[in-house]
Amino acid sequence: MTLDVGELVAALPDDGRTESPSNAALQEMLSKLSHKPVPVGSLTRFWILGTMQAKIAAAYLAYWIRSSYATADEKQRQRNEAHLAAAVKLLGGMSYLRGAIMKVGQLLGAYPKVMPELFMETLSKLHFEAPPMHYALIREHMRNELGCDPEDVFDEFETRAFAAASLGQVHRARLRSGERVAVKVQYPNIAATIRSDFRNMKALLAPMRLTANWENLREQFDDMRQTLVRETDYESEAAFLRKARTCFEDGDQIVVPRVFDAYSTKRVLTMEYIDGVHLDDFLATHPPQSRRDHFGTLMMKATFRVCDRSRLWYSDPHPGNFLFCDDGRLGFIDFGCCREFNDDEWDYMRECTEAVYKGEDALEHAVVRAMDRQSVDQVDPGHMRCAIDVAHWVDDCLLHDGPFDFGSEEYIERGVALVTESVRKHYLRSMPLNNWLFRSFLGLRAILYRLRARVDMKHIGDTELRSVRE
Amino acid sequence: MRVTAKAREATRNRILRVSRKLFSEKGLNDTTTRDIAQSAEIATGTLFNYFPNKESVAMTIIAERLDHGEDEFRRRRRTGESLDETLFAYVMAGIRALEPFRRFVGPVIETMMSPFSKASSSEACERVRVSHMETVGELLREQGEAGDPSFVAVHLYWTLYLGALSFWSNDESPNQEDTLVLLDQSLRLFVTSLTNNSARAEKNDDA
Repeated sequence: MTLDVGELVAALPDDGRTESPSNAALQEMLSKLSHKPVPVGSLTRFWILGTMQAKIAAAYLAYWIRSSYATADEKQRQRNEAHLAAAVKLLGGMSYLRGAIMKVGQLLGAYPKVMPELFMETLSKLHFEAPPMHYALIREHMRNELGCDPEDVFDEFETRAFAAASLGQVHRARLRSGERVAVKVQYPNIAATIRSDFRNMKALLAPMRLTANWENLREQFDDMRQTLVRETDYESEAAFLRKARTCFEDGDQIVVPRVFDAYSTKRVLTMEYIDGVHLDDFLATHPPQSRRDHFGTLMMKATFRVCDRSRLWYSDPHPGNFLFCDDGRLGFIDFGCCREFNDDEWDYMRECTEAVYKGEDALEHAVVRAMDRQSVDQVDPGHMRCAIDVAHWVDDCLLHDGPFDFGSEEYIERGVALVTESVRKHYLRSMPLNNWLFRSFLGLRAILYRLRARVDMKHIGDTELRSVRE
Repeated sequence: MRVTAKAREATRNRILRVSRKLFSEKGLNDTTTRDIAQSAEIATGTLFNYFPNKESVAMTIIAERLDHGEDEFRRRRRTGESLDETLFAYVMAGIRALEPFRRFVGPVIETMMSPFSKASSSEACERVRVSHMETVGELLREQGEAGDPSFVAVHLYWTLYLGALSFWSNDESPNQEDTLVLLDQSLRLFVTSLTNNSARAEKNDDA
């Protein structure tokens, strides 16, 4: 055993639950990573992927061996150490890779209870703490995109990014006209990195070629690749932002940032700056229940409204994409990972929504369609049962009278048990669209769980799903 | 007839002017010394009174552009940059200045500047190397790296620099963005190795 978990975490905070988890270790790790080259070559990345998994496995193995000799308290401590060490290792690998793998990390980090708590908290850092690009690189990159230096375009441009994500980083700036803006600058080469990640992942899926659902899996995989590659096109994101923005008025207290086309390209996106804080900072203020409920309601309302009025599905509801403003407004930002429904998909959405209100038979019919089958006979009974349970877990809140408690441990654990069962029993067959719908359902519930929000979903279903239900 | 220094300077400038155009349009390989002489309205033999071959003409153009790049770098310099950031800005300023001639920079590096090339001893080439390394030395000293960089550090840096230039000249990615990544990571690697070496040397001194 070459990896000593105790040594690895010796530099970490004593209690990751009370302090910001593993900040010191993260900083150290990120500092080391900033001196590593981004591996562009497919083979190199594939190798790193392998070693990353090996390191995580080693961390857990170390825990298992040592815990055999430990007392109960010691066992808990070691479990925490192992989770944290694994999270740091995983974060290290992903920050270094920066591409689609990091997106997967973000996805996992959004699901409470699926991952150990410390692991999840560390992963959630991925939304904000990717290694930054220095200003000289930003400057050259923006010069390529906008034709001149940032200081020639903007009245002010903060050289240090205030937020970073998997595909880029965001700088505060001020236009010559005086408006404050957020300028999102994409990592150079990220699109090629994502394509390379998908080639690697496809190779990992190769052994499944002989399985019954291979064609369907390949379809899902290609859909995922197309969506993530489109996320690298900020012009596409700008179009989604413009469309979503038309759904809201001042009184709604939901704000989608305005896009400034003159300062935007495929790799640079200049948007109105929204002065708000992310979920962690908001929770740190110990907000009263009414305020938690208020923002939870706005999140659900925003997602449903955009779906209903613009036929857009917001597929990326992680904590980094919502801003909590002092004046009670919710900033609804980052529309990179969005889906526009085609007619067939829209029809499917309507059928699913109708089924919620019609009952079991309609639900069963929708599940058959969701699995891209023609009749109930073609669906494995266990899979059918599990899918209907998932549908109830997602949709029953729409039938609940009064505020629905998304902070309920029982509720979130039931959802996690269903996800776990789906994965364990290989219930993978699905229309590609469902991956994005479910990602959003889960992601939103994960945020609302952390927010401990209670939301009147029945009312939101009645008022915000009019087109879908017509 | 005696050629005055002024006339000689005018002819030299004319050769460089027409060569810039020819190299940009046809590339280095497809441009002959005869093409250059004809465009400059001089005899081919006369051209050799000024430059020994077309590669030297190209190298002179590159040297002039790099001088311009250095001026731009100093004009755009910011305070508070880290060493890798400063070096990145410096190299990119040179690359920007070379942009109109990207097509022929690669072949010139291969024939004139490559550490493997036997022809890498022209006056213009040496001037580029010395001038560039003087600036790099100045930047290192500004960042607290004491003394002149070691022979190994100089060689490592120069190899990375030429590699980045060569990569850029063939970079087909949009806006040559792959070059930005390669250069950024190469310079981080160089600075890290330099810093580690300095730390190791200090430790040995203390011991």
